[in-house]
Amino acid sequence: MRKHKNKIIIGTIIAIVLAFAFWWGGDFPMLQGQNADKSDYANINHSKTVAGKSKNDTNQNTQQDKEDTVSEKSDLSDIPIKKDNEPATEENKPQHSDGKPMSASEKIALAEEMSGNSYTKQENAAEKVTDATANSEKDVPVAEDKPVPIEPENTVISDKALTCTMSVRCDTILKNIAWLDKEKTELVPNNGIIFSEQTVTFYEGESVFNLLVREMKRNKIHLEFENTPIYNSAYIEGIGNLYEFDCGELSGWMYKVNGWFPNYGCSRYQLKSGDKVEWVYTCDLGRDVGGNYSARNGK
Amino acid sequence: MNEFKTYHPIVNFVYFAFVIGFSCVFMHPICLVISLLSGFIYSVMLKGRKAVKTNLIYMLPTLTFAAFINPAFNHEGVTIISYLPSGNPLTLESVVYGLAAAMMIVSVICWFSCYTEIMTSDKFIYLFGKIIPSLSLVLSMTLRFVPKFSAQLKVVTNAQRCMGRDVSNGSVIQRAKHGLLILSIMTTWALENAIETADSMKSRGFGHSGRTSFSIFTFDKRDKKTLLCIVILGAYTLIGKLYGGMYFRYFPSLQTGNFSMYGLSVFIAYFALCICPIIIEVYEVRKWNTIK
Repeated sequence: MRKHKNKIIIGTIIAIVLAFAFWWGGDFPMLQGQNADKSDYANINHSKTVAGKSKNDTNQNTQQDKEDTVSEKSDLSDIPIKKDNEPATEENKPQHSDGKPMSASEKIALAEEMSGNSYTKQENAAEKVTDATANSEKDVPVAEDKPVPIEPENTVISDKALTCTMSVRCDTILKNIAWLDKEKTELVPNNGIIFSEQTVTFYEGESVFNLLVREMKRNKIHLEFENTPIYNSAYIEGIGNLYEFDCGELSGWMYKVNGWFPNYGCSRYQLKSGDKVEWVYTCDLGRDVGGNYSARNGK
Repeated sequence: MNEFKTYHPIVNFVYFAFVIGFSCVFMHPICLVISLLSGFIYSVMLKGRKAVKTNLIYMLPTLTFAAFINPAFNHEGVTIISYLPSGNPLTLESVVYGLAAAMMIVSVICWFSCYTEIMTSDKFIYLFGKIIPSLSLVLSMTLRFVPKFSAQLKVVTNAQRCMGRDVSNGSVIQRAKHGLLILSIMTTWALENAIETADSMKSRGFGHSGRTSFSIFTFDKRDKKTLLCIVILGAYTLIGKLYGGMYFRYFPSLQTGNFSMYGLSVFIAYFALCICPIIIEVYEVRKWNTIK
């Protein structure tokens, strides 16, 4: 017993420190009061299914299953042809027509069935090439009726001045003021509006990011961003000294255009005349401002 | 000028633990100035005039470097001075914070240079040889390694020069060969030396329970008084800090706490703690001069 006294003491100290870090370190869910809404996830699954149907509505159910699986396969086999600025595609997840994801054994069975039928495979592979977006990190699937992401380095900005509306709001902080960093309380405006909705001028070809930087500079509002090469976009860290993580661990800035939260960075969203750009501060990974795909994609 | 060095190791250690710990943590500008000034003065007192030059040589570049490097990465703060080429703002707060951080680094380096003068390895082993025997031995061996290695390098180089195998003899390839030979000798020596030291410590029963060791340190009345003084000042400063007596924030805007007599007393306590050894040295010099 005496021999192992030190080991026991050290073990106890480590356990106490870990317990302390667990309950007071900020990660303990009960202190944060997170309550993810389960219905969000159900909606997402549903919309995915609808998108999947629209493509293959002439085919029979079984055929559709096959094709989806093959597309998935060719996705994995890394097709070298990569086209940017292609029309948007739906997500090619192997799943039954009723939206249920396929089990692993079902997929294997289908793949075996497929291997005997080289014709179908080739045809599908060719089809895949035409509507493929490449499978690198920054190429994301985009819903069909939404604009595709652009590459900021390839765009030409002309002198043609256009107008759209823009606003910057942080009213979610007012609801979660208890989570807010104490030193930042004075920075939050009483109505939660940092930059009220107004008509702003931009030049043809500019992205949401270009617009934000210019307007913030013009209105003497603080803005910090970071360029993220992997997404080929800027990431907005803080506006008006309100930074990501300042109001809980799931907080940060998000943007929406015409009510839609794009699933790519703000440097890649090309503005159109009359667009309505809104920058909103979320305290719950987008769920409190209506951008619930952030929970779906997990990115 | 080595009066504080003659004090009991525990006094020296507690003092440096407080001062270096506080210097690493306190970001209030007044604290930084107190720490930097007293650290600078004390290192000059200990090492003489040449310390002024060496201190300034690393101090000024570090200060300017940190003041420039921080605003390049940190853009927080409400006072926007101008915009960087990247598009991010250059803020007054980030510049001030960079300067403060640089002052902190420099003052900690200063204090560590004083620490190595005062806390020699025998004092360290005396304090920690019983509690953490292997770690304290390794620490003192490591700290001792660099001066010992350079001394041995001189010996080996001289011996090789006598044989005409120095790095200054022969063609480039030969010189490189000689250099590598010296390096190999030094590496062998260092490894062997470390093992020998460890073995000899083991054969003397270092770290075993019941083993006594000789030391020349005695804890007398003078040490008791000084230790009490240091502990009280340190504890007062620490409590003052925890109760917000040294409140200062850099982001999002520079803001200091309200002035109060209590806050002032905390700063005075910290100042007194920092200049403790300086007072001791000055007092001893005066005593010596009067009784001479």
